[in-house]
Amino acid sequence: MKKKIWLPTIIMFLLGIVFLMPILLLVMNAFKTHNDMIQNFLSFPHYLYFGNFTEAIERMKLWMVVGNSALVTVGTMLLCTVTSFMGAYGISHIEGKFGNIMYLLFTLGQIVPFHSIMIALSVQLTNMKLLNNLLVLVCLYAGFHGAFGVFTYVGFLKSIPKELEEAAAIDGCGVFRCMWQVIFPLVRSTSVTLLVLFFLWTWNDFLMPNLYISDGAKRTLTVAIYMFKSASGSEWNLMLAGLTISIIPIVIIYIAAQKYITSGLTAGAVKM
Amino acid sequence: MIQKKDAVGNREVRERRDMSILYKKNRKFYLMLILPALAVYALALLVPMFGGTIPYSFLKWNLMTGKKAFIGLDNYIKLFSDTGFWKSFLFNLEVGVFTIVGSNILGFVLAYFLNENIKAKGVIRAMFFIPNIVSAVLVSFIWVFIFTCAMPAIGAAIGWEGLANVSWFGTPGMATITIIVVSVWQNVGFLMIIYTAGLQTIPKDVMESAQLDGCSGLKKVLKIELPLLMPTVTINLFVSISGAFKMFDIPNAMTAGGPYGSTMPVAMNIYQEAFTKYNLGYGSAKSVVLFLTVAAVTLIQLYVTRKKEVEY
Repeated sequence: MKKKIWLPTIIMFLLGIVFLMPILLLVMNAFKTHNDMIQNFLSFPHYLYFGNFTEAIERMKLWMVVGNSALVTVGTMLLCTVTSFMGAYGISHIEGKFGNIMYLLFTLGQIVPFHSIMIALSVQLTNMKLLNNLLVLVCLYAGFHGAFGVFTYVGFLKSIPKELEEAAAIDGCGVFRCMWQVIFPLVRSTSVTLLVLFFLWTWNDFLMPNLYISDGAKRTLTVAIYMFKSASGSEWNLMLAGLTISIIPIVIIYIAAQKYITSGLTAGAVKM
Repeated sequence: MIQKKDAVGNREVRERRDMSILYKKNRKFYLMLILPALAVYALALLVPMFGGTIPYSFLKWNLMTGKKAFIGLDNYIKLFSDTGFWKSFLFNLEVGVFTIVGSNILGFVLAYFLNENIKAKGVIRAMFFIPNIVSAVLVSFIWVFIFTCAMPAIGAAIGWEGLANVSWFGTPGMATITIIVVSVWQNVGFLMIIYTAGLQTIPKDVMESAQLDGCSGLKKVLKIELPLLMPTVTINLFVSISGAFKMFDIPNAMTAGGPYGSTMPVAMNIYQEAFTKYNLGYGSAKSVVLFLTVAAVTLIQLYVTRKKEVEY
């Protein structure tokens, strides 16, 4: 019986290693010198070489671009979660047609590919002189991810019994307090999931900052690493160092919120 | 007795009316709550779509010449005979179909085996999920390196000449395969997680009674689990189909559309029309076509797979 558990485990584990190989190779090679990497791409590093990191940090202005990425990402996470929750709360309380129309409006937003509005957005931001502005980027992400946020929150809010709010109202709890102190804590797991998803979608995004941020001082991490590639095609080692750094927060967040990612994605999926 | 019942009934009606009044009284508040979400949504999506993409698509507008003129449906008419665009469209469909089918099958198989009795499920699931949460643009670079440097090395090491001499990015066929491989690799994790969740919602007794009736193995999967999983299939197809039409990052980082524009998805075609040729009007017409295609295909898919969902 024991054998039956371990054999599939080992097979799946090995498959997992193969699957994860590109990322393992990436991290391994970030700790090699350039020549070592070209010659022994597949082997473990003989010793940990940090030169790539120090050079990448200096050349990429790493702390600055990480700061920009962090600002945009954290800003989006907070703004989008708050606006989505409030919007969903409002929609789920408005009776009649208007509520349904608003719900449909946000739901349909999920099927709009960013690429079908990137030209228009580019023209409009130029006209409004809103290019090269990280806070505008935050608002755009909040709007774009908000379609999913509102949709997900409405699904969860529907399952909360109305009696709860009515009881709170009878006890003299104002509507605003009721929303934040009674209902918001109840959808905590949804909020964590959305925060994680907003983090991933924003931190990893390339096209939007690439199009709407041209000022070098406001560059985000993804774009900075990409620039590295086009500016100096042969300096793979520095790029790998940058990539490794960009993966660190993702892995930390994933480990911290693994439970919520799975349960949240699931619940969202089932609701749909 | 009758009177008493009436009294209770009246109280309920009254309470319900009170509650309704509570919601009516606060209607303004609820409407206000929608405003911030609507404002950012309008800025990011509604205004660009209805105030930009759609009206621009009726203009002849080149940013270099600066000319801007209303030409009605001419952009769309031109689009019909634009072989470059249709080539992109077909390439997009080709990669899309292989990626959707491949990643859904692989995702389901992984979810199925990881749902069986094995150890360290969390760790192993994470190994398959992590590629999905790392930036597609950035991991594409490492894949380029793997295809161009590591594959020949592996080929030489195991003495397999074929693998050592493949020019991965030299021919359209090979370049397409590399893009499919990386797309599947990136998408599998997400789909696997959703399938896992779906499998866990199937009640144990349904599976047990199937087993008792002598239904097992592949037959059990196809006849019992898959039909019960239709809601999950619906969402996964939705996610992967809309994802396929948004394909941009992976081809952009891996092949940049080459060789000879053979690996250029629709989104990249639009990007080039607008940001290298500066044809904003024509690019917008392409954008409208992209949007309508995604909308039509996903809505049809939702309708079709929804109909196949069964109750248990």
